[in-house]
Amino acid sequence: MLLKKLFRTLWHYKAQFISMVLMIAMGVGVFLGFNIEWYSLEKNLTEIYEATHFADYRIYAEQAFSEKDLQAVLAIEGVEDATRYLSVITSVKDSEDTLALTVVENPKVSGMLIISGEEYDPESPDGIWLSDSYAAANGISVGSGLTMTYKTITVTGTVKGLVKSSEYLICLPDETQMMPDYSSHGYAFISPKMLDAAIPAAYRLIVGNSLYMQLNVKSSLEKADFVEKTDHALGRTLLVLSRDETISWSEAQGEVDEGKTMGSILPVLFLAIAILTMVTTMHRITASEKTQIGTLKALGFRDKRILRHYTSYALIIGILGSILGIAIGYGLGWFILNPDSAMATYLDMLSWTLYAPAFCWIVIILINVFLTLIGFLSVRKMLKGTAADALRPYTPKRMKHMALEETKRFKALGFGTKWNLRDLLRHKSRSWMTLFGIVGCMVLLVGGMGMKDTLDSFMDVFFDRAYNYTTKINLDTESVTNEEALKIADTYAGDWVAQRSVQIGDRGVILEVYEITHDKVRFADRDMNVIPLGDDGVYISERIAKANSLAAGDSLTLSPYGTDEQYTVRVAAVCKCLTESIMMTRAYADRTGIPYTISAVFTDETDIAANTHILNTQNKQAIMDSFITFIDLMNKMIWLLVIAAVALGIVVLYNLGVMSYTERYREMATLKVVGFKNSKIGRLLISQNLWLTVLGILIGLPAGVGVLQYLLTALASEYEMRLTLGPGTYLVSVLLTFGVSLIVGLMVARKNRTIDMVAALKTEE
Amino acid sequence: MAIVEFKKVSRVYKNGEHEQRALDHVDLSLEEGKFIVVLGPSGAGKSTLLNMLGGLDSPTEGTIVVDGKDISTLTENELADYRAETVGFVFQSYNLIPTLTVIENVALVKEIAKNPLSSHDMLREVGLSDHIHQFPSELSGGEQQRVSIARALAKNPRILLCDEPTGALDSETGVMVLKLLLSMARDMHKTIIIVTHNQNIAKMADVVIRVKNGRIQSCEEQAAPLSVEEVDW
Repeated sequence: MLLKKLFRTLWHYKAQFISMVLMIAMGVGVFLGFNIEWYSLEKNLTEIYEATHFADYRIYAEQAFSEKDLQAVLAIEGVEDATRYLSVITSVKDSEDTLALTVVENPKVSGMLIISGEEYDPESPDGIWLSDSYAAANGISVGSGLTMTYKTITVTGTVKGLVKSSEYLICLPDETQMMPDYSSHGYAFISPKMLDAAIPAAYRLIVGNSLYMQLNVKSSLEKADFVEKTDHALGRTLLVLSRDETISWSEAQGEVDEGKTMGSILPVLFLAIAILTMVTTMHRITASEKTQIGTLKALGFRDKRILRHYTSYALIIGILGSILGIAIGYGLGWFILNPDSAMATYLDMLSWTLYAPAFCWIVIILINVFLTLIGFLSVRKMLKGTAADALRPYTPKRMKHMALEETKRFKALGFGTKWNLRDLLRHKSRSWMTLFGIVGCMVLLVGGMGMKDTLDSFMDVFFDRAYNYTTKINLDTESVTNEEALKIADTYAGDWVAQRSVQIGDRGVILEVYEITHDKVRFADRDMNVIPLGDDGVYISERIAKANSLAAGDSLTLSPYGTDEQYTVRVAAVCKCLTESIMMTRAYADRTGIPYTISAVFTDETDIAANTHILNTQNKQAIMDSFITFIDLMNKMIWLLVIAAVALGIVVLYNLGVMSYTERYREMATLKVVGFKNSKIGRLLISQNLWLTVLGILIGLPAGVGVLQYLLTALASEYEMRLTLGPGTYLVSVLLTFGVSLIVGLMVARKNRTIDMVAALKTEE
Repeated sequence: MAIVEFKKVSRVYKNGEHEQRALDHVDLSLEEGKFIVVLGPSGAGKSTLLNMLGGLDSPTEGTIVVDGKDISTLTENELADYRAETVGFVFQSYNLIPTLTVIENVALVKEIAKNPLSSHDMLREVGLSDHIHQFPSELSGGEQQRVSIARALAKNPRILLCDEPTGALDSETGVMVLKLLLSMARDMHKTIIIVTHNQNIAKMADVVIRVKNGRIQSCEEQAAPLSVEEVDW
């Protein structure tokens, strides 16, 4: 019988019941969805790193490594495994494509995972194990023939298998590219035996017996320790890059960190609002059921049974909300992260399986336990005392006089204002929840849209104002001389840059030497103002400044990669940059004696004649497009948050509005009997909502800016952005919050038309 | 002159297929300035009659004319104006706004009534001048009922409608409230209609209406109504 009552009561409170389920569902959904995003990315990344034995260190040398070198490294204590490794960019015969031809002696380090076809055979004389993404983009299948050329070496073979490798997780032909394009570039593994057979005798005479310019190592040693030990073992100073300095690791981890940051504050706030509102609603429903609870007690039902009966409401709501929330969470996770997303073009992972972090399940279980406990405690409170006590209807707290009431200003207030003001103070938890809901909605809107403004302003400064060129001509630094490069720059009336990798301590950054005579490249200072480069020192990115505690006027020592030379330079200013870079003019570079090779020319010309020294050309739009792909994920999250904020705002405010309406039902009936019109009562109801909205907006606006600042600080390791809020964001978030509040207010206020005065006033207090 | 006229008024409540006739072809004519008591057992239709007259409910058949105006065809807003200007209500359960003080509860009628009386005067009349800044929950039941009477009278209505005004009070307090109602009716020349179970109250009335099964059984004028003190409570 009680079960029947359970369902009928749920039906009776259907508006509150549905809104509570929705609140929990949305809170759990957004919280879970955002955490699924970064956690799935991390898990799927770990999967491919482990499956293809991603190396911890890469040692590069000007001269190839011998077998003896390999053994010396393997003998280092703390080195688990190592391999000689070769990766060179080859051109594919009969096409303009390029493939990174890869040879790994010991595939237990930096190896591959077979997706289809034959197992890798290190003895195969003609087998090619090709990137499956490149194969798919070019219609190549197992059994197809392929010829690749590197300088005088030509390799011809048959595709034996299609593979993936974490070394090429982000597969780019050179540093000038930001976004993989498998239709024109991929990678292919061949056996050491096949490589050996392909080296012509004449070439062998020049380069010696080995082409392996790289040693890839698995080791848990710290970088400084590892560098010291390898330098000692190999007897020379070499360029060593840890996995943190490898694109396929650092960029992918950056995406994970970005997801963690986005998931760390706003979705938590979201969940908190949902839970707190649910708690308030649960308590109120129990209070309005007090007489029924008393009746059951008076009938002879034991407290335990009544507790179980009423507690099960909270449990049912919690469970239904959680189930729906889990579905929403996975839906959101899939929306942000799926094999058809931009992220899947960027990261060539094995799978895009969604995983939820264990703590999310714990949080969901705790939420259910908490809600049930709240239900339990509310009912227990109502059951206190004798059956007669329980039978008495719930009475809200007695009104108390406030100091405020003694003021002249308060006395001069209209009745409606006093009524609403006292009601707010009498039902404090409801008022707080409403305020909290509005503040939350506002924070989510300001945070979300402000992030979009910040990103837009970032794009605007860099791509519309700082990058004042149309075409970037990338030069082949291996073959070009500065004289030849200058000729190219002259021909196209362009400015140029010489890029090279340098180290500050053991941290790798990019050094850029610029010659700007045509205003094709400008720079952004910390306030995002576009500035020219001066000859008075180097301009460093914020990240470098922060990592090395540098400010304008300090000096900085840098060392080009793989050398022992050191240069001390003066920091002229700290700038906002896309990459971690140190920038200087040609004049300053000449003065300090830092060597450089021109690597790119910036011009407005679009018709660039073929030249052996030109690697490729890129138009600004293409560079911009690839950057947009990076922020696409963040944009998606932002829009999800904004939509979710509005939805949550509506549900929370509607729920609290209905609660307020129910609690003031009798008072409104009285007003109606006295002669108040529906419209006037409606205005009274809405005005309370609007006060809270104005207050919520006043608090939410700065809070939103604070949250945004926090997010930007957390994202500072990836993007050097400056908090920017456009007037549109202020306007839209205020109007949207106001609009939500007003619409919900009107929806609730409309209900007063249906007040049954006779029935309402007959009920005993 | 009749201030209230019921002409063949019926009120039928439908609940699914079940039909309940709360008032059945009631004809009634009441004169201004009288103290009228409506008596009847539970479910007789006396409260329905009062609600119809107060503009809280509309008849399904017939017309109700109050002060020359047919209120049975008024729109919701017109009914609100009618309640604001013509009638005042006093309920068994007081129905005060808990978040407003005594004076504010009375003064709130200023928001709607065209010719409201001074709230302070009204509270002085009901003997609550010393309690004007208290909240209803700080008052006794009798005091709360007096506030509700002050509120009803502050609108300066022609008719005061009271539904079991002493129902929730002990007899001593009830007598005090009745005395107050009666003296105000006489002094301010109001028509007072009280709905009650209490036969004793009827002894004070100018007119006694007995209702049973939705019909008027009798409507008698009493030539010599007793004073409150004369009634044996």
